[in-house]
Amino acid sequence: MIHLAHVSKQYKASTRPALSDINLDVEKGEFAFVIGPSGSGKTTFMRLLLREEIATSGTVEVAGKNLSKLRRSKVAWHRRRLGCVFQDFRLLNNKTVAQNVGFALEVTGKARAHIRRVVPEVLELVGLDGKANRMPRELSGGEQQRVAIARAFANRPLLLLADEPTGNLDPDTSGEIMLLLERINRTGTTVLMSTHDNTIVDAMRRRVIELHLGKLVRDEARGVYGVGR
Amino acid sequence: MFADVLRGLRRNVTMTIAMILTTAISLCLLGAGLIVARMTDQMRQIYGDKVEVTIYLNEKVSSQDPNCQAKTCQALGDALNKDSDVDRVTYQSQSAAWQQYQQMFAGQPEMLQIAKQSDLNSSWHVKLKDPQQYKVIQARYQDFPGVKSVNDQSQTLDRLFNVLNGIRNATIIVALVQALAAFLLIANTVQVAAYTRRTETSIMRLVGASRWRTQIPFILEAVVAAVAGAILAIGGLVAMKYLFVDKTLGTIMNAGILPPIDGTALVWVSPWLGGIAVGLAGIASYATLRLYVRL
Repeated sequence: MIHLAHVSKQYKASTRPALSDINLDVEKGEFAFVIGPSGSGKTTFMRLLLREEIATSGTVEVAGKNLSKLRRSKVAWHRRRLGCVFQDFRLLNNKTVAQNVGFALEVTGKARAHIRRVVPEVLELVGLDGKANRMPRELSGGEQQRVAIARAFANRPLLLLADEPTGNLDPDTSGEIMLLLERINRTGTTVLMSTHDNTIVDAMRRRVIELHLGKLVRDEARGVYGVGR
Repeated sequence: MFADVLRGLRRNVTMTIAMILTTAISLCLLGAGLIVARMTDQMRQIYGDKVEVTIYLNEKVSSQDPNCQAKTCQALGDALNKDSDVDRVTYQSQSAAWQQYQQMFAGQPEMLQIAKQSDLNSSWHVKLKDPQQYKVIQARYQDFPGVKSVNDQSQTLDRLFNVLNGIRNATIIVALVQALAAFLLIANTVQVAAYTRRTETSIMRLVGASRWRTQIPFILEAVVAAVAGAILAIGGLVAMKYLFVDKTLGTIMNAGILPPIDGTALVWVSPWLGGIAVGLAGIASYATLRLYVRL
C-alpha cells in the first residue's frame, strides 16, 4: 500500500532534513503507529503520503502510484483514495453532522442518491446514528472525532491517515476512538496513525514505526511505545 | 451550491455591497459611453445621406448670371455632371438662396435685417457618391473659374461628432478606472472570503475535491455580486434616460437633430454590461485564486 525508498525531505528554511533516507513498506490492510517526539518528522511523513509535500529525493508510492511523478491535476484523484483525521477534528461548524459527512462526498462529485444512502451508513458505523441533525458544537470531543472519522471513511478509502486523533481526548474516549479505528481497519482499510499516546500504543500491540530527528529508528511488528529507544 | 453562494456573500456583507456598488458605477458609466458611441454612429447614418458639398460661385457670377446660362457657370455644371465621384448636382441661384434664407429665419426679423440678397451667392450643391471624398472634390474645384469657395457640411457635423466622441471617451476612461477599482475590490473580497473559509477549503482539498470544485464557489460569489452590480447599472441607465436625458434633450431629439435614446438602446447595451460584469468578476476572482490563494 505504501512504499518509501530512500526518501528525504529538506525544507528550504531548515538546516537539517525533516526526513532522511527513509525506507519503508506498509502492506494493504495493516494498522501501524507512527511515533516520535515533536520535530521527528511524523507530520512531514503524513504530508508526503497526502501529496501536500513532494520528497526532495527518493520514491514515495501509495497504492501503486509514484507521488513524486503524480501530475498536479491527479492530486485530487489521489486524495479521494485516502481519508484523513486530525487532532482538531476540522469540522464545519455551520453544517450538521450529516452535512459534514456528506460534504466530503458532495465536493468530490458523488450523486445525491449515493450521499443519502452512504451518510446514514457511516454514521451508524461510527455510532452516531440518531445524531445526524446535531451541530458540531452540540457534540462532545469524542463525538466530534467520530464525525471526522465518518467523513474520512465515507469515500471508503484504501488508506486512512490519522494525525494524533486522540490528542484532544480523555483516555476513555481515546479508547473508544481506537476501537473505531480498529473496526475500520477490519474492513480492509490500511490505517496509519501518528500518536504520542503510549498507553494506546502499548495496549494495541500493533506495528510501530518510530522516527527521531527525521530518521527511521525503529520498525517493530508488534511494538510498544518506549522499547528500543 | 447557490444557497452556499448566497451564504458566502452574506458572511462578508460590507465587502459585497462595496463590490456591487463599484461594479454598478463602473458599468453604468461604461453603458453611458456605449450609448453615446451608438448615438454618434446613428447620427452619422442620419446625416450621412443628407450631407452635401456646396460650391459657392463668386459675387460676379452670382449677380450677373442668375440662371446659370453663361459660360463660366455652365462649364462648372458640366464638369460636375461628368465627374465620376459625383452622385447628383443641383444649382441654387442667388434669389433661390435668398428665399431659403428668408424662410429659414422667418421668425427672426433681426436676421432678415442684417442680410440682403446680394450678400448671398449662387451655388452648386453636390451630393457625392462617397461623402469621404470631400477633399478630392475641394482640390478639383477650388481653383475652377468663377468659384469662390467649396464648403463641406460634414466639417460642421464633424465638430459635433468630436464633442460626442469626447464625451464618449471621457466616460469610457472614467468607466475603465472604475473597472480597475472593481477588479481590485473583487480580488480583495475573494482573498478575504478564502481566508474566512480556509477550514472549508482545506477539508475540500484533503478529501480530494478538484481545484476547480474548490474555486467555483468563490468565482460564483464574485459573478453573482457583479451581476447584481450590472442590474443596478442598467437600472441607473433607465433612470438617467427618463429623469435626465428625456427632460433636458427631449425637444432636440423629437426634432430629429439628435437620435433618440429609446428602449432599444438600453436593450442593446444591457447584455454587454451583463457580459462584461461576468467576465470582469470571473477573471478577477480566478486570477486571484490562482495567484494569491492556495486552494
